[in-house]
Amino acid sequence: MPQTKSKTILEVHQLSKHFSRKRGVLSAFNRRGGTIPAVDNVSFYLRENETMGLVGESGCGKTTVARTILRLTQPTSGRIEFDGRDITHLSDSELRPLRRDMQMIFQDLDAGLNPKMRVSDILKEAITVHERVSDAEVEIKSRLLLDQVNLKYSKLGSYSSELSGGEKRRVGIARVLAVGARLLVADEPTSALDVSIQAQVVNLLRDLQKQLGLSYLFISHDLQVVELMSHKVAVMYLGKIVEMGLTERVSGAARHPYTYILWSSLVEKHNREATQPIRVERRATWGVFDFERPARGCRFAPRCPVYEKRGRPAECTDPANEPQLRDVGGGHQVACHFPLGS
Amino acid sequence: MAQPLLKIENLRTYFYAHSKQAFVRSVDGVSLEVGQRETVGVVGESGSGKSITAMSVMGLISGGPGVIGGSIHYASDKVQKNLLEGLENYVQLEEGNGRVLTVKKDESGWQKASEKLMAGMRGKEIAMIFQNPRASLNPYITVGEQITEAVRLHSGISAVKEARERAIHWLERVKIDSPRLRYNSYPSGMSGGMCQRAMIAMALSSEPSLLIADEPTTGLDATIQSKIVDLLQELKNETGISTLLISHDISVITRLSDRVAVLYGGAVVEYGPASQLLDAQAGFKHPYTAALLASVPNQQKIRARANLQAIEGEVPDTINTPPGCRFYARCNQITPEIRDKCAAIHPELKDVAPGHQVRCWRFIN
Repeated sequence: MPQTKSKTILEVHQLSKHFSRKRGVLSAFNRRGGTIPAVDNVSFYLRENETMGLVGESGCGKTTVARTILRLTQPTSGRIEFDGRDITHLSDSELRPLRRDMQMIFQDLDAGLNPKMRVSDILKEAITVHERVSDAEVEIKSRLLLDQVNLKYSKLGSYSSELSGGEKRRVGIARVLAVGARLLVADEPTSALDVSIQAQVVNLLRDLQKQLGLSYLFISHDLQVVELMSHKVAVMYLGKIVEMGLTERVSGAARHPYTYILWSSLVEKHNREATQPIRVERRATWGVFDFERPARGCRFAPRCPVYEKRGRPAECTDPANEPQLRDVGGGHQVACHFPLGS
Repeated sequence: MAQPLLKIENLRTYFYAHSKQAFVRSVDGVSLEVGQRETVGVVGESGSGKSITAMSVMGLISGGPGVIGGSIHYASDKVQKNLLEGLENYVQLEEGNGRVLTVKKDESGWQKASEKLMAGMRGKEIAMIFQNPRASLNPYITVGEQITEAVRLHSGISAVKEARERAIHWLERVKIDSPRLRYNSYPSGMSGGMCQRAMIAMALSSEPSLLIADEPTTGLDATIQSKIVDLLQELKNETGISTLLISHDISVITRLSDRVAVLYGGAVVEYGPASQLLDAQAGFKHPYTAALLASVPNQQKIRARANLQAIEGEVPDTINTPPGCRFYARCNQITPEIRDKCAAIHPELKDVAPGHQVRCWRFIN
């Protein structure tokens, strides 16, 4: 569980990232241009030794949040603070020392593993990138890293093509540990793995957190893994966080209809006769959001069962009145005019 | 019991791994049955041979060595035949020391014979849907036209107008909103879930007797997954189609299957009714099935914040098959009495309950 005294390692304030959709020179004339608000006013914080899960459907901006936090893409507006320091406008050379502290694990197992390098070289590169280390020390440190991720020393001589999926993932994690990262942004770290291997990696990440006091921003569409890994969960819908709070509350006592549907789709998947605490009529209105013609007011309204049930109240589609995150008790925040269970 | 629609016996499909200079036994003696109106789920980790089994049934594996033996009996109202009839005559195999040494195969002869057997089967009697729906659709042709093409090819409707109406009918049946409008959409303009619906429409438009669904929900969002599963369930009830459902997602298998086969290292290790096999509490379980079920996060573990029970080690390669049980190295249920047998002899599938078979020495004698 999170220790209340541990300090905040990452704070994100009103972060937005808009992608422009210019299509050649003519876009200025034919109005086909415009922007896609991939991330829209997202704020959250992450404490040391804490895991925050970020869930949502594909295209909702999870990965963009992750990439923007690490300054792999430039935010349009907002502020990112790492360890109390504003890093939003740091230059690349100023960022470089910070790269030791914050690292990313990508979904693609082969990302970051040069196919022409042996595991030993891959680790050596990571160990020596930020500091000068003698060969003997590299050797000792490589072995230590392999111990930490439960890999055999015999794998040092292997190329990445000779490794299985789970082993590749472990080498990827070892590389991140090699630079001494304290904040790990894990973007779908287990989705390319089998269940049994996924369990190994989940356990490994949890053990490492205990041993090294790491902080994770854990992105996944697998709700169960997120539940298992995270202390806090934020649910994103089309670029906005619609619900955020402690994992037990968000998963067990969801207040936003979208969260509720997300988690109940999981229950349904497991158990046809699942007891439903709240009867939500599920209508076939699962349209894809169109950024060119965004819904006015609440973004979720076109798909929202509560909106339908309440006879389409005007607040929900009032463009001046988009629901904002507000506290519903115990740090549990919801952006909805009619939160469930109230 | 009536004759099963599909009866795979001792299917073997091998490949040659150039990087390792050795033969990989992707499917090594798989036997399965899919009854009329039945859904059989196939679970297993990647590399266990799930997809290769499906592709072997569809006759989609060509080249050497490929399918080298076994039989696939297919018996619907219209067609009864063995899809691998006489094909073993084209293949000669030499084994030694747990390794496949050489495979001699008359590839063109095999291919010709296979195509002859598969004529009128693929797409017509047996349809298949794949994991990545967008990759299976042609990006330059509208979804509707692609379904129309399938209808004209397989359903004996040659009039374009009629075929078009039939395609729209199928788009409607897979619950695509405003099917007439969507008929003219390109795959790029549709979401992943909709593309999968279109694929299902295309597969079912020829009214096949058997549908092979290879990871139909993988890569889709959780909410969409649930909807696709609902759709498959409904279509199964409406059309009575038999399904061979392949997935690594146990929850999908749980919801759709009547019977389940668990594959490990290219062979079936457990086969039985879904209710018994996937119930973590029920007895008689292959250690691998038990471990697989335990490695899935569930509410209890999440609440207790307990570590997941992982299966240590990795999926074995099937180049060198040790003489004993293939799960031996990762098994946590070996008792001293059976240890020697586990290490030395590959166990047979054995009945543990009516219609429920397990390949484990714990249940033999």
